[in-house]
Amino acid sequence: MNDDVLDVADVRAMNEVVQQPVVAKNKITDISEITETVGIPFADNAKMSMRNVDVFYGEKQAIFDVNLDIGVNEVIAMIGPSGCGKSTFLRCLNRMNDTIDICKVTGELNLEGQNIYDPKLDVVPLRARVGMVFQKPNPFPKSIYDNVAYGPRIHGLATRRADMDEIVETSLRRAGLWEEVKDRLHQPGTGLSGGQQQRLCIARTIAVSPEVILMDEPCSALDPIATARIEELIDELSENFTIAIVTHSMQQAARVSHRTAYFHLGKLVEVNETEKVFTNPDHDLTESYITGRFG
Amino acid sequence: MTDRTDDNKLNTIDLVNKNLAKRFRAEKRFQAYGIASICFGLFCLVFLFTDIISKGTRGFFYHYMPMEINLDADTLGITDTSDTDQILAANYTAVVKKAVYEEFQASGRKQKKDARKLIAIDATGYKIQGLMKTNAESLINTTITIDVLVDDKVDFYLKRIGNYGEPGKEYFNEQQLAWIEQLMDKESGGLEKKLNVAFFTSGDSAQSEEAGILSAFMGSLYLLLVTFCLSFPIGIAAAVYLEEYAPKNKWTDLIEININNLAAVPSIIFGLLGLAIFLSFFGFPRSTPLVGGLVLTLMTLPTIIISSRAAIKAVPPSIREAAYGIGASKMQVTIHHVIPLAMPGMLTGTIIGLAQALGESAPLLMIGMAAFIPDVPGGITDPATVLPMQIFQWFRNADAGFSEKASAAIMILIMFLIMMNALAVWARKRLERRW
Amino acid sequence: MDKLNIDQHISQQYNAVLDDLKTEFLEMGGVVEQQIIDAVQAITKLDDELAQKVLTVEKEVDEREMALDDLCVQIIARRQPTASDLRLVMSISKATRDLERMGDEAKKIAKMAILINETGDLPAGFSELRNLGRRVQQLVNDTLTAFARYDVNTALQVAREDKAIDKEYDTAMRELITYMMEDPRNISRSMNITWALRALERIGDHASNIAEHIIYLVKGLDVRHSSASEMQEKVQQDS
Repeated sequence: MNDDVLDVADVRAMNEVVQQPVVAKNKITDISEITETVGIPFADNAKMSMRNVDVFYGEKQAIFDVNLDIGVNEVIAMIGPSGCGKSTFLRCLNRMNDTIDICKVTGELNLEGQNIYDPKLDVVPLRARVGMVFQKPNPFPKSIYDNVAYGPRIHGLATRRADMDEIVETSLRRAGLWEEVKDRLHQPGTGLSGGQQQRLCIARTIAVSPEVILMDEPCSALDPIATARIEELIDELSENFTIAIVTHSMQQAARVSHRTAYFHLGKLVEVNETEKVFTNPDHDLTESYITGRFG
Repeated sequence: MTDRTDDNKLNTIDLVNKNLAKRFRAEKRFQAYGIASICFGLFCLVFLFTDIISKGTRGFFYHYMPMEINLDADTLGITDTSDTDQILAANYTAVVKKAVYEEFQASGRKQKKDARKLIAIDATGYKIQGLMKTNAESLINTTITIDVLVDDKVDFYLKRIGNYGEPGKEYFNEQQLAWIEQLMDKESGGLEKKLNVAFFTSGDSAQSEEAGILSAFMGSLYLLLVTFCLSFPIGIAAAVYLEEYAPKNKWTDLIEININNLAAVPSIIFGLLGLAIFLSFFGFPRSTPLVGGLVLTLMTLPTIIISSRAAIKAVPPSIREAAYGIGASKMQVTIHHVIPLAMPGMLTGTIIGLAQALGESAPLLMIGMAAFIPDVPGGITDPATVLPMQIFQWFRNADAGFSEKASAAIMILIMFLIMMNALAVWARKRLERRW
Repeated sequence: MDKLNIDQHISQQYNAVLDDLKTEFLEMGGVVEQQIIDAVQAITKLDDELAQKVLTVEKEVDEREMALDDLCVQIIARRQPTASDLRLVMSISKATRDLERMGDEAKKIAKMAILINETGDLPAGFSELRNLGRRVQQLVNDTLTAFARYDVNTALQVAREDKAIDKEYDTAMRELITYMMEDPRNISRSMNITWALRALERIGDHASNIAEHIIYLVKGLDVRHSSASEMQEKVQQDS
């Protein structure tokens, strides 16, 4: 370096030469090089713990050797490009993939130490413990009341009418929908707006008092205001429930989650505290994805 | 673009404009094909309907004439009015004949014979018998005035007077024509055209003036009842199993292909099957709605299964997922959500299948439902015939009176079908509103 | 997609905007550096004209600061940068402030130069001033180079060099104090030189701050309020 001053022309020239990304750590050029998850995939007080999970659709492997813990009352967000397997993985957590014949899940998936893929385990109580909210608001074509009461009814949670009324009211209150619908509980749930429908679906899910709530892109069909409501709701629910959320919106993951897991082509690349992931991710792929550098 | 105003090089917009006319013409032509097809269809329909309605309405009416009949006990041969056997066996035709001779002041064998041919003697006799059955006591030895039916040839001729060439005129001799003229000219007590109530309330008959639709109508109704009760639950159960529970393998593929093929099998094959299985093997009674219903169930099942499966497939997977997601079992998902949502579609399929069954005649031929059944069936095990078979038989009959009745029966059949479709539409609307 | 091409954003426009930001920043750095060189030259050579130039350039620096801040706000509002992009925007936003402060210090030196020129005295301590001036100038140059190349090692060097400069400043101050104690009549003259020395030392501190921003930008580590050796340790731990 000479003593001369850096003038404007020099700076421009230098910039041309130094066209490089800010960081270049764990530089990956081949997907097969991803062998293990970086960051902190494990938790001390795990509600669910997954070890060596592989998922196959027929011959095709969709998930490769995923190890992950979900802590009690934690909100964990799963992000990644389309087809990275995040939804597939989420659906393994309450055996929603059972309905697909060719889908095969191996490895250990434990809910409070109990293997949920144990052949002796009944899937019905499992789904009562691990509820799910879907991408598209999908209320039943029934009244608002019946939508919420459906779960408790089939599980026999309330025998008397008054008990059921109470469950419906508390669920709707918790979902932040009670004030809006209390006067029209017996009108069809499909008549609500998109955001209200999604909150109705959340109310329906929490009506059976699950321990874990899985959310598969719950806001992708909603406008920003409705999205903000749902995010607020997720925050409130995290006091009592463990929540795993799959989202395409990185900002959403950044807003609602405590930890963020990044999936890439069926592999769990990185799990870290959300603030860490969005300011200084450990893995190059995560960095590239969240800064929009794929392509 | 705009600066390229060279004559040889046209602007894009000019090229577009140039082709525009051509495109519009093609568009118009395309529309015209459609309109032409619809017009053709409409024309055929209108032609068919005018033909059937013009013929059929004649079938609903008949010519009557009021006539005084003296129920003379001697002529009837009744000695004791409380003896029902005597009343049933009484010689009613004799009193009618007597009244006819008086009416036309016929004398001599030739004239009496001519006069008899103008009035439906037997039918009138039955009518009087009917009256006598209930209150013989008060009617005996009195003179009553009743509407008697004219002979079917007279009716045929009367309905066509004024038509070109006066069809039916050739049936009569001069004396008879004169009498008919005289009857028509009468101020009161002459010929009257009235609604033929007997057509709706009586069964088939060898005489066209007495033949009615009721036995065939009831036969069709029983047949449909049997078909519905069997094919609806079986069809839906099969569809639900195949769609929701059956594993996807070679066997279910094979079943699916077979069901689809069965829908295209000629219906007479089902008749043969019914003949072989239900009549020969199980020995069920011949000509009954029970067997007919079984055969038509076989025939309509593929239609119902295919449309029910389509309806089940159309239930959005998100609803299933939602139910599974809160821990509903497969049966709960099916019964609480899938079937109610698919019900309108299933009903539509069933009604289409039943409408097909209603118009079906070929398989019923094979199991003997083409028989002559004058009595109205009282249940599913009584011999019966059905509307299409009745229509076919009447048309086949050379007697001119029957072909009118056949047209009228066709109208009844079409009304029946329209009502069923209306029922389907109503049911679907209702079910859809509930959700 | 087995081979990844992760060097570019999907949005070319975003690339361009970030490039722009960086270029603008380095241009501002160039201007400030020139300002410092001119200021040191003005005071050592007692060049009144050069000192006046430094004062005028100060306005340009202020404008550039505001423009850069605006650009940062625009990027945050419109692109919601994350990870390295976020760190780039944040560190440039902060480093801009440091650059502006450097400009302020240069202005102070230039004012001293004008003052000394007016009184016409030739005080002692010129050699120290010249020495420190050269080192600070080099430091600023190194800092900007490190930023342009995202070079952590150079940034660490800058932090170390700043500590050395602080030591040299202390030495120069002691010398001047001795000089003042020898003859109290020198005090008012020497005070002007101490102010200039002090300004140079502050410029070194700001350069060191920018070096910290560079480390944050590249490594995502917050190394503020730690000594040079601690910094080195943290950086080594990370990689």
